[in-house]
Amino acid sequence: MFVHIPTPLLPLLVMLGLAMPSLAMPPEGSAPPPMPTYQMRAATPDGDRLNSTATAETLFSNHCGYCHLPYGMGTTVLMMRRMPMGASPASALLTNRDDLTVDYIKAVVRQGIGAMPRQTRVDITDSELAKVADFLAGGSQ
Amino acid sequence: MSRILPPGVSAEQYDAAIKEFATVVGNDWVLDTDEDRVSYLDLYAPGSEHQWPASAAIAPGSVEEIQQVVKIANKYKTPLWTVARGKNLGYGTAAPRLAGSLILDLGRMNKILQIDDELGYVVVEPGVSFFDLYEELKRRGSRLMMSVPGNGWGSVMGNALDHGVGYTPYGVHARNICGMTVVMPNGELMRTGMGAMDANHAAHLFPFSYGPTWDQMFTQSNLGIVTSMGMWMMPTPESSLELKWDIPEEDDIAWVIDTLAPLKISGVVDQSIFVPSWLGKLSVKGTRAQFWDKKGAMPDWRVQELLKEHKLGYWQVALRLYGEEGIVKARADVVKNAFRKAAPNLKAEETWWHEGDPINTMDPSAGTLGIPTAMPLMMGEWVGGRSAHLGFSPVVPASSKHVMGQLKRSRELIAKYDMDFYASFTIGGRFCNNINMLMWDRDDEAGTRNVINLFNDLIRVTREAGYGEYRTHLGWMDAIADTYDFNGGSANYFNQVVKDALDPNGILSPGKQGVWPTVYKEFAKNGRLD
Repeated sequence: MFVHIPTPLLPLLVMLGLAMPSLAMPPEGSAPPPMPTYQMRAATPDGDRLNSTATAETLFSNHCGYCHLPYGMGTTVLMMRRMPMGASPASALLTNRDDLTVDYIKAVVRQGIGAMPRQTRVDITDSELAKVADFLAGGSQ
Repeated sequence: MSRILPPGVSAEQYDAAIKEFATVVGNDWVLDTDEDRVSYLDLYAPGSEHQWPASAAIAPGSVEEIQQVVKIANKYKTPLWTVARGKNLGYGTAAPRLAGSLILDLGRMNKILQIDDELGYVVVEPGVSFFDLYEELKRRGSRLMMSVPGNGWGSVMGNALDHGVGYTPYGVHARNICGMTVVMPNGELMRTGMGAMDANHAAHLFPFSYGPTWDQMFTQSNLGIVTSMGMWMMPTPESSLELKWDIPEEDDIAWVIDTLAPLKISGVVDQSIFVPSWLGKLSVKGTRAQFWDKKGAMPDWRVQELLKEHKLGYWQVALRLYGEEGIVKARADVVKNAFRKAAPNLKAEETWWHEGDPINTMDPSAGTLGIPTAMPLMMGEWVGGRSAHLGFSPVVPASSKHVMGQLKRSRELIAKYDMDFYASFTIGGRFCNNINMLMWDRDDEAGTRNVINLFNDLIRVTREAGYGEYRTHLGWMDAIADTYDFNGGSANYFNQVVKDALDPNGILSPGKQGVWPTVYKEFAKNGRLD
């Protein structure tokens, strides 16, 4: 693919910056928050990917973090889609959601949705996906 | 989706091959379910994605496993379509050119084998993404800077092998390749360059070793499987300055190219200079429907209104200089003087960066500072629906005569097909890569047909004018190969002779870039969009 990085979505980012729990809310009347720096993903865990012993947080960060960490492509798209529906900007982060189920997450990962391409079992194995889905669903099947 | 077998392979033969592959990689790394087959389809296919189906995928975990898989594939005559991470979005994703091929997915092999800060290179396996490498360099405190393409989700190696480009002084990625380890079509292992000598210390430092030079033979190619590769990397500069100009008029591209190309050729500017048109900037300010709610191309008067409203030029130049501050300042003076002569009223917006300054992920200059991102995938939001994109990418000499000619040619055709015009010219040396981005909704059947017809016209008209494409989608690999027609297509003939000699069973990626082994030649007619 040969395209350039788009100009910053400044207004959206500022909203997102204000909404992200990890960033402090600046006092009224102060300068807008600084632009976000690069968000590091967790390092690729060692070990058998078919029976993963890595934590769900690590797996989510490493596999989904390309797009779903703060300021990621997926987070930004979800914010643009969810805010007009009345959802909070913070709910654009998958880890803040309380309406995801295990089956829904698995289906979206394997079948893709919107700008999100399908993930193969090399991208994320069934064992890794099961952990990530449990983690994001927080017990909801 | 049902299983499409490779041509000439019976179900029994295929099942026997699958069983034997499983003894090498393990049952769980033979991906043979319907869900797996769907996951390897081309999600941006122009028309049905079932035009290029894989029969299954195999994911080896080591060089030895690849060698054994290739030997088994030769035994059962099951073609393998090799992908690094399979993220060649817009060019076919991970899907094979020949229906029924097995995907050889090298994504599991994701080790960074070497990082050499002193001499400025890395050695990577196919599964290493731009994000993986960037983060590992940071974790180790390396001073090497990457060159990244628009989407950093893909493979560092796969991108360079497919002639991908970025926007730093190391932006012509295939040029950074030095020293490969390759599995040959018969399953034997070889090394290119100095590395052909066992334990040679300069394996990734000097490309012109002894005898013929083969590194580039394995780019955009089906002559071997590259299992690791040396890549030259740029040391992070002490400082960097971005000079940005909004260029008001469409025809201004003529003086922009004639001003910048000599600076690039003489080395005053060392980056690959990216000059995009307005749509790239507008597409991140909202969706198309918010600016123009009718089908068909946005009319010129509306474009002019929007440019004024959003304070955009028709083009934008965001040029970056790298190095010690004194050198950067001196170079900036030369560049600014050249611009002043051509356009006395335009003033550059200047932004300094110094080593250690935090780099903002979403800043458009992140790309010229080597920060990977997936943000360009957001361009899908512009069109809406099940959006897809294609790039029509001819190479033109870096001079106004050729650039203006191509601009007018593609602009006229794109207007004739009633689509929005979104182009860029990237000066990578004595040439420009011109990308005409076509975005459409895959659920719109007539719109999809329109894009296919337009693409065919673009290929024909551009060839007639004396220019060719450097990269393309599966559906046009043969059509583009056909445009390389000197002496009755003797280069294509040469490719096929080499292919048949090295790979008589035609096992490795048949049809890649229009290179067909004789055994599958008759299937070249399928899966074509021209």
